[in-house]
Amino acid sequence: MTTIVEAVNLKKTYMLGKVPVDALRGINLRVESGDFLAILGPSGSGKSTLLNLIGALDKPTEGNILIEDVDVSMLGDSQLADLRRRIGFVFQFFNLIPRFTARENVELSMSIAGMSRAERRKHAEDLLETVGLKERMNHKPSELSGGEQQRVAIARALANNPRFLLMDEPTGNIDSRTATEVIGLTKKLNEEKGATIIMVTHDQHLAAETKRTVQMFDGLIIKEIVN
Amino acid sequence: MKARDVFSYSFSAIRLRKLRAGLTTLGVVIGIAAIVALLSITQGLQNTITRQLQTGFATNTLIVSTERGFGGGFGPGAQGGAAAAGSGFKLLVSDAQAINGTLSPEIEMSMAIIQRAGYVKSGETVRTTTIVGVDFTKYANIYTSTFAAESGSIPLSPAADMVVVGKRVSDPWKNGTLLFNVNDPVEIIWTNATTLPPENETYSGHVTAVLREIGGFGLGGPSDSNIYIPISQVQSFFGTDEVNTIVVKLKNDDKATIDSVSKTITDYFSNQVSVTSATAVLNTLSSVFSIIQLFLAGIAAISLLVAGIGIMNIMIVSLMERTREIGILKALGMKSRTVLWVFLCESVIIGLIGAAIGIASGWGLANLVAIVFRGGGGTFIGNQAGTTGGITITPVLTPTVFLGALAFGVGVSVVFALYPAWRASKLKPVEALRYE
Repeated sequence: MTTIVEAVNLKKTYMLGKVPVDALRGINLRVESGDFLAILGPSGSGKSTLLNLIGALDKPTEGNILIEDVDVSMLGDSQLADLRRRIGFVFQFFNLIPRFTARENVELSMSIAGMSRAERRKHAEDLLETVGLKERMNHKPSELSGGEQQRVAIARALANNPRFLLMDEPTGNIDSRTATEVIGLTKKLNEEKGATIIMVTHDQHLAAETKRTVQMFDGLIIKEIVN
Repeated sequence: MKARDVFSYSFSAIRLRKLRAGLTTLGVVIGIAAIVALLSITQGLQNTITRQLQTGFATNTLIVSTERGFGGGFGPGAQGGAAAAGSGFKLLVSDAQAINGTLSPEIEMSMAIIQRAGYVKSGETVRTTTIVGVDFTKYANIYTSTFAAESGSIPLSPAADMVVVGKRVSDPWKNGTLLFNVNDPVEIIWTNATTLPPENETYSGHVTAVLREIGGFGLGGPSDSNIYIPISQVQSFFGTDEVNTIVVKLKNDDKATIDSVSKTITDYFSNQVSVTSATAVLNTLSSVFSIIQLFLAGIAAISLLVAGIGIMNIMIVSLMERTREIGILKALGMKSRTVLWVFLCESVIIGLIGAAIGIASGWGLANLVAIVFRGGGGTFIGNQAGTTGGITITPVLTPTVFLGALAFGVGVSVVFALYPAWRASKLKPVEALRYE
């Protein structure tokens, strides 16, 4: 197994006005390919900050974050953008573009990566079929339920064949039955397609579905459980 | 991201807020329309005036007069007997004979013109005119196209009573009711103010030719509202040898010739005359028009500037509304550079559409103005020219104005979008995603 993500003594300090806030106080973490990791913790424990660092959306104050052995701190703006194309994001609030249909939203990340129109159209349809939304692909987000929107977001995250999926509270905004569907889909992706998944949640039950759980508190990993 | 995809992404953002985009575009439309309308009208006006001048002009001529500038020879409105310069220097008919090939090999011929304000009378109708004494043969040679008969013929060795009249003297009301036709008798009157009390002097002639309509006004050249009588007749009628102007015909009209002959003539008369070239007048006129155009375009550009500020304002609002969207795009791997292009592309689309509609409506407006002028008689230049004939402006949209307006519209849009676009591109993905 190859190491996909490695965090070494990772620290992040924010300035909240003039007051420094230590969001991460020394995180050490390793994620291998094929892993399905849940990062569990109460709000304010620093799990979203960690996710942003793993997703190359932010840079650490101290320590290193290596994605496929590349140190994120060393990368420039443009290289970070390139790196993000190889990471699949699934956000709590879906973050779909409202004016685009489901298919166009999935196509968007491929369009950003420079894929040709015909190619990405075909690929988007395939992906929407994978998440079970082929029939609804010409609907806009406002015409889709929360669960459907989240599945579109998952299809979009998968569009550029990412090295791993990053999910930030993926069931936080959908009802429990739809959440079960989304989790089922996520598990299937991990088990059948070998997708590496890192998921942030504060839901114990959801965390129990993964292969491994790390518990965070006050900017530190306090416990690691292999399910 | 491919250029085509950037474009369609930007376009989808514009389409989302049609009213807002429409109003922003309207600002550009108004600015560009104003520029195009003003420029094409001025260009049309310049063309009309230049063309009218050129009909009355011969580019290979020089006008010699004792007055400064071209007032002495400019147009038929010039008053006769006003030739006296401060120094008391006078140009005589014999001086015209001195300006010939011997003075400069570039001179082909020269002729004297004596003119006074006067009247023509037919029955009870009296009209003011300018009585011009010329050598018919030379005058017809210099102004081939304008000193040409529409009816009758211009005599080469005219009898003293022969008169050639301009079109507006013959047909002053422009309705076909002729005051003078060929072979009609004409009473010619001028007021001699050298005697006390002033006396009207009169002689009877007959019309031998009516000139073709010229329409313009010329420098030294024929005019529709003048009458022409032989130079020897005018000398005895006015009792003077003093000429108003001497027209010099050159062998060619290049600048070097014009300059060197002008200098030769001025030197010959010890700097007591002024020499004006028709070409120089045209050049002066065209530079005056350039300044007017620049000035008008400048005023119109201000409205475009306002439109630009409108674009900037809307872009900043749009930037704030779309902060989260920018965060998503960046999280999906869009480069800052591409975000910049997306925003600039939106302004280019607005600028292009605005400029295209603006050019079309500006052109429409210019034509509308031209039609209104035509309907209103368009006499504002006609009066100045002393002719009753109106002028018609045909607006001209030169490729330069067309492309310039297009470039300016797009340019202003892009320049004012630069700052918002730059701000958008600099947004940090984490903060943008957190933005509510």
